[in-house]
Amino acid sequence: MLGELLDDLLTSPSTGPCITATRHFAPRPPVLVPFPPSLDPRIADALRARGIHELYSHQAQSWELIEKGHHVVVVTPTASGKTLCYNLPALQALLLQPDARVLYLFPTKALAQDQLAELEALAKTLPEMRMFTYDGDTPQDARRAVRARANLVLTNPDMLHSGILPHHTKWATLFQNLRYVVIDELHAYRGVFGSHLANLLRRLHRICRHYGSAPQFIMASATIANPGELARRLVGEHVEEIAESGAPTGDKTFICYNPPVVNPDLGIRAPYLGEAAKLAIRLLRARIATIVFAQSRLATEVLLTSIKNGVADKTGDSGIVRGYRGGYLPTRRRAVEKGLREGEVLGVVSTNALELGVDIGHLDVAVLAGYPGAIASLWQQAGRAGRRSGSSAAIFVATSAPLDQFMVTHPEYLFGTPPEHARVNPDNPFILVNHLKCAAFELPIGPGAAGGEIEKFGDVDVRRFLAALEDEGVLHHAGSRWHWAAETYPADHVSLRTVTSDNFVVIDTGARDATQTKRRQIIAEVDWGSAFATIHPKAIYLVESEPYEVQELCWREDEEKVAYVKRVQVDYFTDAISAKGVWILQRLADQAHPVYLAEQGEVLVAEKVVGFKKIKMGTLENVGSGEVELPQQEMQTTAAWLTVTPEALARVSASREELIDGLRAVTYLLHHLAPIFLLCDIRDVGSWLGDTTPAEPGAVATRESTKRRLMSAERFNPTIYLYDSHAGGIGLAERLFEILPDLLRRGLETLHACPCRFGCPSCVGPVNEVGRKAKATAQGLLRTLVG
Amino acid sequence: MQSLDELRRVIRRIETRRPPHPAAPPAHEVLGGEVVETGAGPLLVVRREYPLTHIHGRQPLAPAFAAPLALLSAVARAAAPARDPRGLLFLDTEATGLAGGTGTYAFLVGVGHLDGDRVVVAQYFMRDFDEEPALLAALVPLLEQAAGVVTFNGSGFDLPLLETRFVLARRRWPALLPHLDLLRPARRVFTVRCADCRLTTLEREVIGLEREDDVPGALIPALYFDFLRSRRAAPLARVFDHNRHDVLSLVALLGWFGRALAAHDHLGAEDLAGLGRLWEPVDLERALACYRAALTADLAGPAAHRVRLRLARWEKRAARWDAACALWEAARDHDAFDREPWEEIAKFHEHRRRDLPAARAIVAQALEVADTAGAAPRVLDAFTHRLSRLERRLRRHR
Repeated sequence: MLGELLDDLLTSPSTGPCITATRHFAPRPPVLVPFPPSLDPRIADALRARGIHELYSHQAQSWELIEKGHHVVVVTPTASGKTLCYNLPALQALLLQPDARVLYLFPTKALAQDQLAELEALAKTLPEMRMFTYDGDTPQDARRAVRARANLVLTNPDMLHSGILPHHTKWATLFQNLRYVVIDELHAYRGVFGSHLANLLRRLHRICRHYGSAPQFIMASATIANPGELARRLVGEHVEEIAESGAPTGDKTFICYNPPVVNPDLGIRAPYLGEAAKLAIRLLRARIATIVFAQSRLATEVLLTSIKNGVADKTGDSGIVRGYRGGYLPTRRRAVEKGLREGEVLGVVSTNALELGVDIGHLDVAVLAGYPGAIASLWQQAGRAGRRSGSSAAIFVATSAPLDQFMVTHPEYLFGTPPEHARVNPDNPFILVNHLKCAAFELPIGPGAAGGEIEKFGDVDVRRFLAALEDEGVLHHAGSRWHWAAETYPADHVSLRTVTSDNFVVIDTGARDATQTKRRQIIAEVDWGSAFATIHPKAIYLVESEPYEVQELCWREDEEKVAYVKRVQVDYFTDAISAKGVWILQRLADQAHPVYLAEQGEVLVAEKVVGFKKIKMGTLENVGSGEVELPQQEMQTTAAWLTVTPEALARVSASREELIDGLRAVTYLLHHLAPIFLLCDIRDVGSWLGDTTPAEPGAVATRESTKRRLMSAERFNPTIYLYDSHAGGIGLAERLFEILPDLLRRGLETLHACPCRFGCPSCVGPVNEVGRKAKATAQGLLRTLVG
Repeated sequence: MQSLDELRRVIRRIETRRPPHPAAPPAHEVLGGEVVETGAGPLLVVRREYPLTHIHGRQPLAPAFAAPLALLSAVARAAAPARDPRGLLFLDTEATGLAGGTGTYAFLVGVGHLDGDRVVVAQYFMRDFDEEPALLAALVPLLEQAAGVVTFNGSGFDLPLLETRFVLARRRWPALLPHLDLLRPARRVFTVRCADCRLTTLEREVIGLEREDDVPGALIPALYFDFLRSRRAAPLARVFDHNRHDVLSLVALLGWFGRALAAHDHLGAEDLAGLGRLWEPVDLERALACYRAALTADLAGPAAHRVRLRLARWEKRAARWDAACALWEAARDHDAFDREPWEEIAKFHEHRRRDLPAARAIVAQALEVADTAGAAPRVLDAFTHRLSRLERRLRRHR
């Protein structure tokens, strides 16, 4: 069935020419080894009862390394039996040492539930194991029982952060006897979340030291370039890496699909969402279980709408296709997961929320609508289709963005490049200071038990931070130690998922209960950073492709952060327009090249949503606009920037306007290609063409007014800024500064390879936005810069 | 701290800062205590003594030390009954916050106990965080020697807080110490009389104590933090007074319970009703006697209604039908509309007396009254349903 459909895709005149590459991955047989002799026979029996008679080589290898006392990280593909790598030593410890305790950390509650079910199935024939989840869903009256009884606790970093560590005395037995800490989905802990986790683990280490335990860490990760390094950064100690999988894989086809060019002059391709929807509809009509990954909340909703419509045509049942993303409430997500496992739901459209190992059973095809921003995510998403046997396929549908076009036209890069590095910056001052507060709340900070120097936090000497916190009035120095001296509970004010912590709830004002009485119904949550762009007044906010219009947004400091929305019938969605400004605060590094100066340091980024465009669903044409009155958001972060010398500019063009358009084109291109080098989402990086000597700080400007100012400026010093979108920076700017020459080279290659005449979304941006000469100027600029 | 700039500014300010704090007079002089050596460092202890004849508000202290503890433990559902009331420890803590968790400290612990014929209130105070070991060390012998601990909301706050402090300091917490939390019996008894069950409310309404110039509990942590930074102890005097009052009120409150359980002739109608609730799980007949006494003493309003129905339920269960009916009729005639007495009277006529016409008449009347009183649709519906059923039965009988 699947085979025929794929053949048809490859050969039919409508789709065949769009396929730029096909890669076939032959099935691979397993590498099996006998159970290690030290494995308790009762566990061996339990494995045999589940049909497992031997271990995959990586499982045996991790057993051996753990037995020798190493921290380990296992890096193997989806469905390779990673969980046994940690479940076996955990169960063995609990069997042989009745006092031993084990802590499992998963990035989400759903994964913890999944794993508990798996553990329980495995431990069915073993003596009572007392394994429990402990998270926000654990009822208050059950928590005491879990604390008293559990010797294996499955939880998430957020709960460890706000519910367990600040109450560690109630968990004294666990911390005294903590044998293993298991961290699954390690690759999820990159960027902000990873920087928080590293600090959280610093706190965990302190508490374990206090109770005299030194747990061993067992970690599992999807394929990334630097799992060992990431694990070391997070744990703060040496970690052994196991990367060779012994698990078999089924037969798999990977297809690269580039939507057809519909306007060769403007270089416009058919909208990728429409193409992805068409492919998904074809698959679903053939009753092939399909997961579609979209790159944003909005794309998820748009895709879901058209796929539901397309599927309903034929079968009359659009309920077999569901949406899935972070903003949905947990009950809704659980229902979708269950539906997928049990086959009632045939197709799902998801953001990267389903990239993690949530159990959704076996799917046949993954459609990737857009490059997920990282090679690692690409394989992770593709891995969602097909498990250990049988054939499956993944189809990558490229958007017209430069990064996607680069990937789809350079399949050798896609298939040949090792996955990216996962970056964390545990020493981001904002993140560190927040965790230092939490640490002081948990145990006064001072010299270790042996006296001497004040303890370090990771490798960081924190004395200056402590003094600052004392000055702020939350710490108090007494004896040789700093004590928490405030009434508040610091963990409540620190969210691990963002640098700053306020979330907005979205409330449907039209909600009624069964008796038609009004009731307060929360339909979604939106984080502070993206709130103004997605739930500004009059914005259309989509939930499972149902449009809601925002009536009011409450964002003031003393208010509950709420967006009130009303269900509406419209055929458009909204896209925010913002004004921006970037100012240099401090230069930390520079590198002079013959024709340009590259610098790196701290900047102030100010951004303000000033209006929005209305975009028609389906055709994506602009059908209106509006203005909004919202506060300016300011953020200090790290950035890399590049200033071209006036002589070099003069060599490329005499016209200031052409140069501005060309530089803007280069900015667009560099920003969109940067994620190739950083394992990050395109939204983790921001870009701006500004000036090294700008107007008054804090005054934001739209693209148009910035251009006017640059045009009339006395000294023409245009500067391309690429900045880290997370306050304080998570390490992206430093890396950008290092790779800037490579990035410029890659940009030039992309321009050469792009078949459009005057610029298109795939290279320098749409021609009507950047101007007709932008592509040529950009090419000239890049040639000069690359040298 | 919102930005890197601010962080740097703060760091700069600190690094150029001169040593703080001009000398303030020492805390023990200001607060009238003495510094004692605990074996884990020095600690400030403020001690006050009161004769047993001392009257706190309108309550003498003495009855607490003759309270029937076994009975009190039973009605308070305390795990292990304490032995001799003369060995009790009355305990109240002042903390650096209400958040709980390991970053909340008990900076002042007040304990009251009997010493010969005097009540001693000793307050243990850490002048800084590094005196916590001394404070905990001082508590150990007190807790070890006590026959039991009496608190107000100690199960929810004071004891878990101290337990956390003990575990953090690696000291063994005497988990099995008998503990009487007066909040539990207070909730049963005083909800009839008082708007809420906060200690200050009970002091005013039950103990008859009006505190003058009392420091609001919410301000206490801030006063302590101010002291840590300024070393000026004078503003803390009000915190010590507050804590001492709390401890004495515990003694007075236990005395009140002791006397009320021993005899209830001196109590008013509302307290009798509350006391009935306290007795109910332990001694039903005494509970019923309290309820009856409360009604005899002209208990009024919704409280009277609740007592009538409660008493009637027990009378019904004991098949004392006359008494039950009298209560239902009183509830029906004296109180605001409630479906229960009407239904019970109707059921009595239908099932006990097998007088269907009487039952029918009651229900018809109930429906009318309910309608006039604007009862909820489901109540009206229930009565309508009952009425039509009775009419069906009546037709069949004819």
